[in-house]
Amino acid sequence: MAHSAAGKLQGLDDDRVWFEVAYVAGVTHGLNARADGLRLPLDFSPSTRLAAVAIVEDAAAEPEVKGVFEEIREFYAMASTPAIFRYLARDPGFLQSYWTATREAFSDRKLDRLTKEVLALAASVTAKSEYGVDLHLREARRLGLSEQGLTEALEVVQCFNTVTKIADTLLLEPDFAGLRPR
Amino acid sequence: MEIVHVPEAHELAPEDQKFCEATKAWFKIDFVPKMSRVLLTIPEFGRPYGRASRRAMSDGALTRAQKELIATMVSAINVCQY
Repeated sequence: MAHSAAGKLQGLDDDRVWFEVAYVAGVTHGLNARADGLRLPLDFSPSTRLAAVAIVEDAAAEPEVKGVFEEIREFYAMASTPAIFRYLARDPGFLQSYWTATREAFSDRKLDRLTKEVLALAASVTAKSEYGVDLHLREARRLGLSEQGLTEALEVVQCFNTVTKIADTLLLEPDFAGLRPR
Repeated sequence: MEIVHVPEAHELAPEDQKFCEATKAWFKIDFVPKMSRVLLTIPEFGRPYGRASRRAMSDGALTRAQKELIATMVSAINVCQY
């Protein structure tokens, strides 16, 4: 994790930034794992994925999840609720709580929502999550990521996939560890 | 356990030692990161790789700070100890 230490040296020295990064990593990875594991259909790109489970349609949603779905559609500016949240609706209590946590993880705080979407895209590309790439690429662009910005983000993703693999291959031990603050 | 001996900065070619000094300034640290020394062990690889990486990490449409966060995200997803 040399780069969280390196990032701290670039003025990112408020721990709250790193909590926000970690929450985005966690929630993105959790949603992607379930969506890809069950081959849920992509929300934006054409795909031949067939879901391994039944997914609630917006129109058929129970009254208790209708309101949550509406909030999710508004958050993402989508005509239909993303497949992952329609799938989570099989347990309305879990959907409500996990969605609220997701919304808060992605809301403007120390980091803005666009930055968080770019981070979620980086996490999704790195994890080779088809579902996550589809959702977060669209979200990042919708929130204003330019093609130049996208190219730059993916160059960083490629470079750090390179060095993390080199480090893992050689079993390198961390040398930035001493830079952890406090 | 690391499976290789990672050279010290002074064991590298003089022009690569200069690059290492620039790396210290880039990260605002007082040591040469192990990864820089690993990459430059074979300079024919490390020099162009370093140029690509430096270019990728510079301020552009995204800030360098945003790029450091992206780098962290990649390390987190790859569970990279280093």
